[in-house]
Amino acid sequence: MNITRREWVLAFSCWAGASRAQAQQRFTWLDAVSAAEIEAIARQIIPDDDTPGAGRAGVIWFIDGALAGYDQDKRELYTRGLAETQAKREQLFPGSASTASLTADQQVALLQAIEKTEFFQQVRLHTILGFFGHPMYGGNRDMVGWKLIGVEHAMRFEPPFGYYDGAAAK
Amino acid sequence: MSAQYRPTDTVDFIVVGAGAAGGVMAKELATAGFRVVVLEQGPWRHEKDFTHDEVNVMFRSGLTNDHRKQPNTFRKTSGDPAKPQPAVEYGRMVGGGSVHFTTNYWRFHPEDFRERSALGSIPSADLQDWPITYDELEPYYTKAEWELGISGLGGSNPFDGPRSKPYPLPPMPVKSSGVLFERAAKKLGLHPFPAPVAVISQPYRGRAACVHCGFCESFGCEMGAKSSTLAALIPGAVKSGRCEIRPNSYVRKIEVGNDGRVRGAIYFDDAGREIFQRAKAVVVSANGAETPRLLLMSKSKAFPHGLANSSGNVGKYLMFDNGALAVGLFEHPLNEYKSIVVTRVLHDFYRTDPKRGFYGGGGLDSRFDNYPAGFALSGMPKDMPQWGSEWKRAVGQYYTHMNGVLAHTSCLAVEQNSISLDDNVKDAWGLPALRVTFKNHPDDLRAIQFCAERQKEILETAGAKKIWIDPESMAETTYSRHLMGTCRMGDDPHSSVVNRWNRAHDVPNLFLVDGSSLVTCGRQQPTATIQALAYRTADHIQQAARRGEI
Repeated sequence: MNITRREWVLAFSCWAGASRAQAQQRFTWLDAVSAAEIEAIARQIIPDDDTPGAGRAGVIWFIDGALAGYDQDKRELYTRGLAETQAKREQLFPGSASTASLTADQQVALLQAIEKTEFFQQVRLHTILGFFGHPMYGGNRDMVGWKLIGVEHAMRFEPPFGYYDGAAAK
Repeated sequence: MSAQYRPTDTVDFIVVGAGAAGGVMAKELATAGFRVVVLEQGPWRHEKDFTHDEVNVMFRSGLTNDHRKQPNTFRKTSGDPAKPQPAVEYGRMVGGGSVHFTTNYWRFHPEDFRERSALGSIPSADLQDWPITYDELEPYYTKAEWELGISGLGGSNPFDGPRSKPYPLPPMPVKSSGVLFERAAKKLGLHPFPAPVAVISQPYRGRAACVHCGFCESFGCEMGAKSSTLAALIPGAVKSGRCEIRPNSYVRKIEVGNDGRVRGAIYFDDAGREIFQRAKAVVVSANGAETPRLLLMSKSKAFPHGLANSSGNVGKYLMFDNGALAVGLFEHPLNEYKSIVVTRVLHDFYRTDPKRGFYGGGGLDSRFDNYPAGFALSGMPKDMPQWGSEWKRAVGQYYTHMNGVLAHTSCLAVEQNSISLDDNVKDAWGLPALRVTFKNHPDDLRAIQFCAERQKEILETAGAKKIWIDPESMAETTYSRHLMGTCRMGDDPHSSVVNRWNRAHDVPNLFLVDGSSLVTCGRQQPTATIQALAYRTADHIQQAARRGEI
């Protein structure tokens, strides 16, 4: 609960461009350990690969805002789900310290083992909402979600809209 | 200047619900000289209040009934326990569903009004003729199209009934989805036509034309270009000086006097206070789910089983919207996220064809039904991973390159399918939750299956590289945004709730005007028919009032 954004950035060094104001942002609901674990899951759901993923988009900030506000009733699911995920991790990778510290391949194997659970489906929903939802919720930074799918953010468009209507009009 | 009445003023009409029908009733009655109070449970939003915020609108009930505050319960048959489960959705605001609907504006076909005569009875269903014909309703379809502002091309659908006037506005520009659909359908010998839509393609009566922003379905229009009652009618109702719109006013009971006539409505205001508004007559336009619920909650000595329910049929014969979505992936970008949802439609499979061996059929439209998060969440084909790098790459490639064909298929009226009051679950105001009992008639599912094959053929012919149908959209319907049939119209007071003028058989000064009076549901897309019925009822009320017959 008591982690500043600066500590977060230092710990995971994935927000190179974070502004000074953002650097002082704190989580409202999550604690640092849970946030790191949830973000590790989110970053396998939408990986930061050749294009920005859940990390670069700041999905964890969306999730924190959701659990602090509209989705308060999902807190217990997160707490329980994280505990069950740790148990599964311990079973699959004995001696490992955390989900965040697993290798990428191990993380994928762990998530494949829990992907049918209500917890995973909830994290997937939140990750997707954080990645593709409006940036005002803390995720989808620089509209990376909309850029991924080729959506131009504008208030008005004019025909032709696509290839086929353009070709038909010629 | 908006009128303001005191609860102790006996106004001429209360209209419960300011939606697709209530907005029509408010404007028509107020401009005809009646004093009207509109009680709307939702807020009064304006163009500036509407957003492109998918999280709020699609995932947090931003514009619709919030199931956290107003829970539903659901069961398939009356023998099953009803469990809390969202089952009905409606626009909860001034303008109602007309604010957030997709804007398809089809008329029912002439044969929709007399299917029982044409087809005979259907086992396990209660198919009935309407007491009115298409010809009786036609002038009011036309009136609705002109009052609201509908864009389309009259005469372009060979299966439509006769029209007395063209549409007031030309069709919207065709999108890539429409071009592909039209080309494929013609190759298959079918008859695609430009979609009639409640969006203005040109400036109309002081409203600016659509700018193709792409946030039509489920969203409110920031431009006032969607022809909702909020944009097209409510301003005129208010301007009459005789209509007061009271938002955040949740009616819990319609009061009846010793003479068996309604005398007003009790509602909770924004602060949760109970207020009794007096009126000479009441129009309930609360939608096909909330109207029967309100009647069932309005028990009295005169009506121990619910208001206007001597037939026992209030709430029965609920009809839902059925139909599967087929999706195709194409070589070039379509950019369907721009502009309105539907630009081409076909009705070739609409009529019941006895050769097919089941009742019903469907209207097909070419559409893009997605917003980014909803698409990523559940719009991708299920034969690939649903998370991770491969999925992410596919999501990135698919969004601008795909298009759907949606079927709007028949739904038979079945007595057991119904709205009733839940015995256990209450809403945030302490009122009984809306209980839905619904199980598709077998012919509903056969129509969905039949149309799904046609949808796939069209996408194949259009050259789609990959085609998929969400198996869930082929399953039995458990959730609906089209709420129809629960206070049926008919000539016989023993088997119907309202008469041919949408007046309650049991109560002369009570009118039910919304999806609840529909006897059959055509092939979905009921808004045009609901609004035509509203114009017809408003006309009748004015004439009856002049004769002192209300």
